[in-house]
Amino acid sequence: MRVVIAEDNVLLSTGLELLLGRAGFQIAAVAEDAAGFLTAVREHRPDVTVVDVRLPPSFRDEGIRAALQARREYPGLPVLVLSQYVEQQYAAELLATAGGGVGYLLKDRVSRVDEFVDALRRVAAGGTAMDPEVIAQLVQRAGDPVAALTPREREVLALMAQGHDNNAIAERLVVTDNAVHKHIGNIFAKLGLAVADSGHRRVLAVLAYLNAGGQVGDR
Amino acid sequence: MPGERWVQVRRGGVYLLGSLLLGVATVLALPLLCVPRLARLWADWHRDRAARLLGRPLASRPAQGASRRRAATSGTSHALLWLPVNAVTGGALGLPALLCVGNIVVAAIATPLWWAFAPEARPRLFVDVPVTGWTTALTLGPLQILLLTALAYLGFPPFARAHARICLAVLSHSTNEQLAERVAVLTRTRADVLDAHGAELRRIERDLHDGTQARLVAIAMRLAVARQALSDNPRDERFLEDLLREAHEGTEEAMTELRDVIRSVYPPILADRGLDGALTALTTRCAVPTRLDIGDLERVPPAVEAVVYFAVAEALTNVTRHSHATTAGVRVSRAADNLSVVITDNGTGGADDRRGTGIAGIRRRVLALDGTVDIDSPAGGPTTMTVELPCGW
Repeated sequence: MRVVIAEDNVLLSTGLELLLGRAGFQIAAVAEDAAGFLTAVREHRPDVTVVDVRLPPSFRDEGIRAALQARREYPGLPVLVLSQYVEQQYAAELLATAGGGVGYLLKDRVSRVDEFVDALRRVAAGGTAMDPEVIAQLVQRAGDPVAALTPREREVLALMAQGHDNNAIAERLVVTDNAVHKHIGNIFAKLGLAVADSGHRRVLAVLAYLNAGGQVGDR
Repeated sequence: MPGERWVQVRRGGVYLLGSLLLGVATVLALPLLCVPRLARLWADWHRDRAARLLGRPLASRPAQGASRRRAATSGTSHALLWLPVNAVTGGALGLPALLCVGNIVVAAIATPLWWAFAPEARPRLFVDVPVTGWTTALTLGPLQILLLTALAYLGFPPFARAHARICLAVLSHSTNEQLAERVAVLTRTRADVLDAHGAELRRIERDLHDGTQARLVAIAMRLAVARQALSDNPRDERFLEDLLREAHEGTEEAMTELRDVIRSVYPPILADRGLDGALTALTTRCAVPTRLDIGDLERVPPAVEAVVYFAVAEALTNVTRHSHATTAGVRVSRAADNLSVVITDNGTGGADDRRGTGIAGIRRRVLALDGTVDIDSPAGGPTTMTVELPCGW
């Protein structure tokens, strides 16, 4: 699987190269700024991209803007954005682009190699990978309906919102697929959401719900 | 604009007649007004009246509550000096106005009604011309009204302004006094800034020293022990595994702590998106639906941006936690060198400095930049917090 990385800090980009190389990814290019990233994407047409939020020259949100631009040019281009801090605004902007294949993770998560690689593969396959902290903030904000869920249901909701499928959720919580299925049914019933099909659309439905602060439907 | 001029003429006339009355009142109440406290109140009231006429700000720009009161209160000596000056200027400038208005009224009555008066008490126009027939009434009456109105048109505004200027000249602090006061305020707020800055540096140092640095040391120790343990014979795989896991977890905790420290120094979203974007992120994140209304702010110093961000973040946290509000609003606007932030909610009110450290924290940060915080939060709500910050340096 071919990856294009946009990361200006050499310490971090070599770390990523090492880590992804060992996990069987092929590093097509490492760009140091937004323009370089867009050129690399056009040239290599990678299977997935990893983008740092802050890039030269101004070290503000060039990374996000470059990722959004790349996805406008290549709809559905899988993009995993890495950031030193979690900002829901960025997550919302990425999710608002058409098609699946978006991820937004704290840089810290890179050190959990298996989970990081799993998230990257998920994004490459058109899925979603949202940082647990983004989801935690959203869940906390959603208020009463979510508070009415059982602790286990909230766990399932959070994992679902992060972009995990039923298998992965069952594995994480050490329960059967069947149990996860039942939890999800209960969650959707309690939140008043229509049971959407699985996969990215389900994640989007859950995220839209949480994003709206616990209101059904989009704002 | 002629319409505007007439407004000035009317305001000037009212002001001048008022000044005459106040001058007379000053003379009558002289013994009472010699009490310094009353003299100061009397003088302050006059000063505000004069400032309003001239369209000047009522008092020098408030820096803090205490100095605002001091700036607004005239010195006793100024106030006492104002008593005779008031009597003289009120008379000298007010009397012509009274004569002018009075004679317009006389002419207005005399012209149509001269015949109603007894022959020996016939009204007189142009000071000493008795009206004895329609010819004099219809020529001199309108002429007197016309001339005096023209006089009022030309004279009232400058006379009123002259009186107001004299009043302010007597009652305003001299430039030296104003400067001395400003220096005192700046010295104090600068000391506050340095204190706050020092406290902030100590806090950052302590957080990094006790948190991140200590964790890195612990990680380094575990890695060092692990390297040694690699060459142990037999090798304790379990022990190695534990050391590496602990080191790994340590780095994650260090990263989390470091992120919190960074966020408390300068919010990253502010660096990324500026005040507009950062406030948008804050208000959309708020659990209570919040409307953001942000005007054209031009360039705002980063220190001011950071304070605005913290103030809004802290205020919205209070709204979410304590107010039971269903909607809130944040309005940020700039007038000249003054940035104003108004945070409102429709909650239950009763917010004050004693409840939690939030408001005290806002106040500390805002005062450090020579700004002001006003909270209006009656029991039952609604709550309005107004933060004013100078941003013109």
